[in-house]
Formats: sequence, C-alpha cells, structure tokens
Amino acid sequence: MKKKTGSKTLVTLTTTALALSLLAGCGGNNSNGNKGSAGPEGESNSAVKTDGNAAAAADTGIDTSKKVELQFYMLGDAPKDLPVIQDEINKMAQEDLNATVKFNYTSWTDWDQKYKLLLSSGQAIDLIFTADWTQYQSYAKRGAFLAIDDLLPKAAPELQKFVPETMWEDVKVDGKIYTVPATYKEYVTNGFVYREDLRKKYNLPAPTDLASYEAYMDGIAKNEPDLMPMSLNSDVGNNLHYIYTELNKMVGALPYGMGVKYESPTTVYSYWGSDEQKEELKTMKRWADKGFIPKNVLNIKDTMQDPITSGKAASMFGDNPTRYNDMKMKISTTHPDWELAYYPFGKTTGYATPVHPIHNGFAIPKSSKNPERALAFYQKLVLDKRYNQLTQYGIEGKNYTVEDGYYKLVGTSTSNGFTREGMNGWAWRNPEFMLFDKGFDGVKAIFEELDKIQKPDLFLGFAEDYTSYQAEKAALEQVEKQYLFPLEAGLVADVDKGLETFMQKAKQAGLDKIQAEWTKQWNAYTAEKGIK
Amino acid sequence: MRHRKRKTGTVLAIELPIKGAGQLPSETGARTEKKRKKGFLHELVHNRVLFLMLLPTLLFFLVNSYFPMVGVYYAFTQFDFNSGMFDAPFVGLKNFEFLWKSGTLVKLTLNTIGYNLAFILLGNVLAIVCAILLSELRVKWFKKLTQSIMFLPYFVSFVILSVIVYNVFNYDNGFLNTLLAQFGAGPVDVYNKPVVWIFLIIVFYLWKNLGYSMVIYLASITGISDEYYEAAKIDGAHIFQRIWYITVPMLKSTFIVLLLFSLGSIMKGQFDLFYQLIGNNGVLYNTTDILDTYVFRSLKVTFDIGMATAAGLYQSLFGFILIMTVNYIIRKINDDYALF
Repeated sequence: MKKKTGSKTLVTLTTTALALSLLAGCGGNNSNGNKGSAGPEGESNSAVKTDGNAAAAADTGIDTSKKVELQFYMLGDAPKDLPVIQDEINKMAQEDLNATVKFNYTSWTDWDQKYKLLLSSGQAIDLIFTADWTQYQSYAKRGAFLAIDDLLPKAAPELQKFVPETMWEDVKVDGKIYTVPATYKEYVTNGFVYREDLRKKYNLPAPTDLASYEAYMDGIAKNEPDLMPMSLNSDVGNNLHYIYTELNKMVGALPYGMGVKYESPTTVYSYWGSDEQKEELKTMKRWADKGFIPKNVLNIKDTMQDPITSGKAASMFGDNPTRYNDMKMKISTTHPDWELAYYPFGKTTGYATPVHPIHNGFAIPKSSKNPERALAFYQKLVLDKRYNQLTQYGIEGKNYTVEDGYYKLVGTSTSNGFTREGMNGWAWRNPEFMLFDKGFDGVKAIFEELDKIQKPDLFLGFAEDYTSYQAEKAALEQVEKQYLFPLEAGLVADVDKGLETFMQKAKQAGLDKIQAEWTKQWNAYTAEKGIK
Repeated sequence: MRHRKRKTGTVLAIELPIKGAGQLPSETGARTEKKRKKGFLHELVHNRVLFLMLLPTLLFFLVNSYFPMVGVYYAFTQFDFNSGMFDAPFVGLKNFEFLWKSGTLVKLTLNTIGYNLAFILLGNVLAIVCAILLSELRVKWFKKLTQSIMFLPYFVSFVILSVIVYNVFNYDNGFLNTLLAQFGAGPVDVYNKPVVWIFLIIVFYLWKNLGYSMVIYLASITGISDEYYEAAKIDGAHIFQRIWYITVPMLKSTFIVLLLFSLGSIMKGQFDLFYQLIGNNGVLYNTTDILDTYVFRSLKVTFDIGMATAAGLYQSLFGFILIMTVNYIIRKINDDYALF
C-alpha cells in the first residue's frame, strides 16, 4: 500500500517537473531568441578571430578583443538575398572589427507600433533607423537613444569628418548628437503629377497652381467621366491638407493646427479657425461637389500611386520627384502610350527645401550593449566601398551590373533577390559610391531645377517635447479625425458650422494649452537656432 | 441506437472547452478551505498528492496570469527610457486623463456596452432559435448542409469582410447603388449615415458568429436525453410544447455559462470588426466608436506604455466589476447556475 502511494507521488512529481521545465522553456526562449538565431554565423566565422583583432585595433581606437554580434534594425521588408549579403558582410566585419551583424527588418505592416515597441521594451539593439517620420526628435528628447558626441571621435573618426559639420549641428537635439545623418542630398517636396497625354488630348491647362489644377480636373471630369480626376485614399490629412498647406508656403507639416509661414518663421498663429483654413475647406467642399473627391474617400484603402499606374486616376495632388519617376517608369513599360508629367511646387512657391539631415539616419538605442562597435561598423557601412555597395546594390554580376556608369538590374525586380537599395539603405547612402538607374536621370533633372531655388528646411530641426500635454494631444488627435477629416475631405455640407463644431470640440480637448505650449517651444527653437 | 451514440460523441468534444474553463470553482474551493484554518493544514497533508497534482495548474496561472499583473503599475507612471518600471516617476491618474479629456468616455463606454449587449443577447437568442430549428430537422443531408453554410462565415476574416462591405455600400459604384439605379431610385450614401451602421455592424457580427454559437447549442440539444421527449410525446405534448418545456429549460445552463463568459469581456469590443468596417471614417464615430478603436487610434500616434496600460486597466476593471455583480445576482436567484 505504502509503496503504491510512493510511486504515485513520483509520477506526480515527474509530471510537475515536466510541466515546470516546459514553462521554463517558454520563458527562456523569449529572452534568448536573438542569441539562438544568431548562433550559426558566429560559429562559422570564429576561425579568423585572432588576426582580425590586430587589424581592427589599428583601424579604430576601440577595444575589439571580444567578439560581438550587432543587432541592426531597419524598417520595411528584407530582400530575398539578405542572408547571402549578410554572410558576405560578416566575413569582412569579422576581420575588420571582430564583430558580426544580424540585419533585422520590421516589415511595413504596423511598422510604427513595432518601432515603438523595439525602443521601449528594452530589447538589446545596436543600430536603428531614424527619420523625422519615425519621430526621431521626440524619441531623442525622451532619452531613447545614446548621445554619440563623445563616441564619434573614438569609434568613427572618419565618419565624423565625412559628415559636414553643419549636418551634425542640424541633427542635434538639446545640444547632443543622437543620430548619424545621411549626406545624400535629395528633395522629397511635392509636385503635381498628372497625365500629360490626356491634357494634350483635351487641350487642358497644365497644372501650375491651385486654380490651374482645378481647371485641369474640371476638364478630366468633363471628358473622361469614368476616370477619377485625382487619386486619394482615407489619409486625407496627408494627401489633401498637408499638400494644400505646402502649396501655401507653410514651414512644414505642422501639428495641432499651428500656422507658421516660411517667410516669417517667428510668427506663430492658429491656422485652425482662421480665414485661411476656411478658404481651404471651402475649396475642398467645391472639389467634393464637383466629384473630384470620392464620397467614400475615408473608406478607401488603396495606395496613392496604384490608381495612377493602373489608369484609374488622372492626377495626384502632390507627390515627390522620386516616386513620380517610379510611376513614370512603371507606366512606360505597361502603357507606353500614356504620358505622365510633373510640376514641382517649388516653381509655384518660389523655393524648395532639400531634405533635412534628420530625414535619414541611424541611431544607437540606449539598450545597445556595444555602442562603440556599432558605430565603427556603421562607419564601415558608409565609407567602405565594399560594405556600402554590397548593402545597397547586392553582388555585382549576380544582382546588378554597371553599364556606362549606370546601374542595371539583372533580370526583373521579381526574379532578382536584391533590387536597387533593396535593404532600404537610404540612411547609409554615400554620394561617392552611388549608382543610378538610367531612368533616374529624370529625377536628377528635377533636382537640378530645384537646386536653383533651394532654401534650408527650417522645421525638421525642431524637437517637440509633448510630455506636459500628452493627454491633451491624444484627445485632440481623436477630435481631429472625427470632426476635421470629414471637413478636409469636403464631406460636410455646412463648412462654417462644421468648423465651429470642430473648434469647440478641439478646445474642449485642450487645444489652447497645446498651442500655447507648442508656441513657447517653437519660439525657443527659433531663438536658439537664430532663425529669423 | 448507433445513431445516438455518435451524437453523444460530438457533445463531449464540444463541451470540453467549457468544462476546461470551469476550473474556477475548484480554486474557490481552496479558498473556503483556508477559512477553516485549523483544517487546512490537515487537509494539505492528507490530500498532498491531489494538491501536488493541482500545483502545475496553479503555477501556470500564477506565471501567466498573476505575475504579469504587476505591470498594471505602468498605468500610474510616466514612461521613461532611462529608468526601469519602479523608478519611473509616479504620476497618479494622469495617464487616464486622455480617456475623458475629449469628453467621449461616457459615449465610448455606452457604445461598447450597447454593442456587446446586442451581440450577446441577439447572438445567443438567434443561436438558440436556429439550433432548435436545426435539431428538429429530420432530413440529415439538409441539416448538415445548413449547418455548414451557417458556419462558413466564421472563417471569413474581417479584412475580407471590410472589402465586401465596401463593394456593396460605396457610393460611386457599390452593388447597392447600382441596384437602386436599376430600379430608378436615387443612390444612398451609406458611409455618411451613422445610424445605419448600428444595424449593419450588428448584422455583420451575427452573420459571422451565428454559426459558431449555434453549434454549441446544437451540441447541448443533442445531449438532452431522448427519454424526455419520448415521455412527453406519450403524454400528448406537441412539438412546440416539447421545445418550450424541455429543450429551452435544458439550454438554460449553457446559456448562462456563455453569458457570464461573454460579460467578462463586455468592455473589450470586437476590435477587428469595428476597425476594419469603419476604419478612418470619422463621420461614423459617434455611433460606432468603441473603447478599443479609440484607444488604438490614440496610441497609434502617440505611443505611450503608461496610457495604453491605463486604458487596458479601465477595461479590465469594468469587466471584473460587471462579472462579479452578474454572478452575484445569479447566485442569489439560483445557486446552481452561478460560475462561483
């Protein structure tokens, strides 16, 4: 009898132990996930470890005696051939820096949530992409990144020299450098994109400003009733409102209905509720009434470019030169009889701002275990031609060839495992090593035109600190979506009354407090940078 | 005979998940033991093997459900990249502010509860009706076919549903307006009529989930012994009486268990459904915005762990209070039906 109980206990104990180990296994997996997946590459390369040390130590002033694996994070989707490229890079990095790199990608789906989680969960990351549209300034301000001022001369002295002093100055947040800016100069300012063949066919005016654009769409609506005059989707804030304000010489895509004109950057006013805004909303109402803006625009989930390339829409209110060129190239192969044309807003407004250095960069998060090595590796990525071209264009001969100095993709974009800039390496572009597609000459022509009227970007260097009005900000964003978006899409019958409701709700959410605080910060910024 | 045996098989398989969740009573059982302090230690020693067997389950819940609850503390702190959870500055209820700042908290709460009540009540009642109708069907292939057809929408993802809905209702070339034009009627702008969406959302929810809950009830019905029906038949009860006096009362316990489970998550709306169908269309928010979509939209732009936790805590607390109250009421009325 006694023996029986004993064996029972044993069974129970074993079961418990098993269950426990299962639980432990689950927990362990989570924290070690990175290490586990990184294993094989590290092993295969450990042979060259010793002689790599000496070279690295001579190259940079950092301690490379311990072999490390760097975690590299980029947005978007990884190219198919990434493992091959990564192996190649690691062979070199092992030798130069006694380090290997794991390139990680977030995919474009919900990238913003993933990005936030990567930074706030405390996961060990050594290098991460930064941009104005990933909220670099506010993350830097809140301490998500490591200040690299002191690290630069030690770990990446050449990179420090390579990037112009003014750019280092521009990316500073509260007087510290948190990101390595890209030095490639481009324009991401908008311009009208329209079907030139249809314009010729019906003898319509070429869009050069708001009035002529409207006239162009009038003509399209009259002559091609089945065609959408303009391509739109539910993001009316970015695709109607901010393009409208860019055309109206706002200093940038300002939040909370703030208004700052490029000519007078120190004068801050409330755009919301102003006559200027009423004018915008009435224009949109008119466009909606004329059928330019679809009635269900807020439920459309297409991309902006697809309707153009597939011939469903005749124009786009605004897009940047590079994307316009992509559409043009696509159309030239699928519908050679169509013709796409572009008119940059710079020619209307009289100035164009090249991208601010903050627009593309790489930062070292606070959670990094090897900041020195990470920076040294990033220097290699930018300044070493082998590293740079390998990660931008893939393997020469296999992924691309160079013809008359032009980049040429081998095969098609679907068959090739690494297309041009397949790793989304916008941030480590090095103008000296860059290869361009022949079709890119069109973009270069636009850039040259804009170069003549270029003026510096005043807005992006501004790092907003919203900790004191975070609750109001979240509440206001809701009000905006619920009451302002329908107005901006011309869906509300009575514009004046709709605007009144919106303003009342916005004030309730704390608009005044936000605007006052933002104005204070903006004034401090313009004073600090000497903007007049 | 063979026929009946197969039926009970299905019943077992489907009732299993409900039974699994019914582990709660055993835990409360342990609590009442504790009250009788003297006896507990004795009980522990006496039934040590049984307690040991309970240990894995206990650990499972501790590790997966109770320890993570510490994270609730985030709701009261200002998130900071430089400090850990417990040395982050304490800010009291500041993180909850954004919920009522826009003055929509009441509306959101009411919307969430309203929709969920409609889902729960209509869903269950319709499921019971359909289950009874189906169980009375004698043509087997027809029964199976109907059941499958009703179950099928359950596998349609909300993303696909949103595309279907858009193609039916969009103003310019939707199915509905094309049809109306055929009959010479003017087009209807459905996406600009907030009230219509109350019905549409409920309809689509039912369309998608009816088949699933119906199967649960169908399983319960097949579990009712045929003897009752035979006896009733002999006593001269006609079919409606048999349904009303036998089937319906027998389904009561299943109904109550399902009701209690769904009440616990009454504040957690069907996020996918609302988000996919309504998305960015602010015109419809007054009648279709629920807590989940509101929180998602707020935090998508300004992500803050503190505020996200605060919103989650509000939802959970509300659900907790609700389920305790309802369970209490049910226990007062009929002890057998209460969860614990």
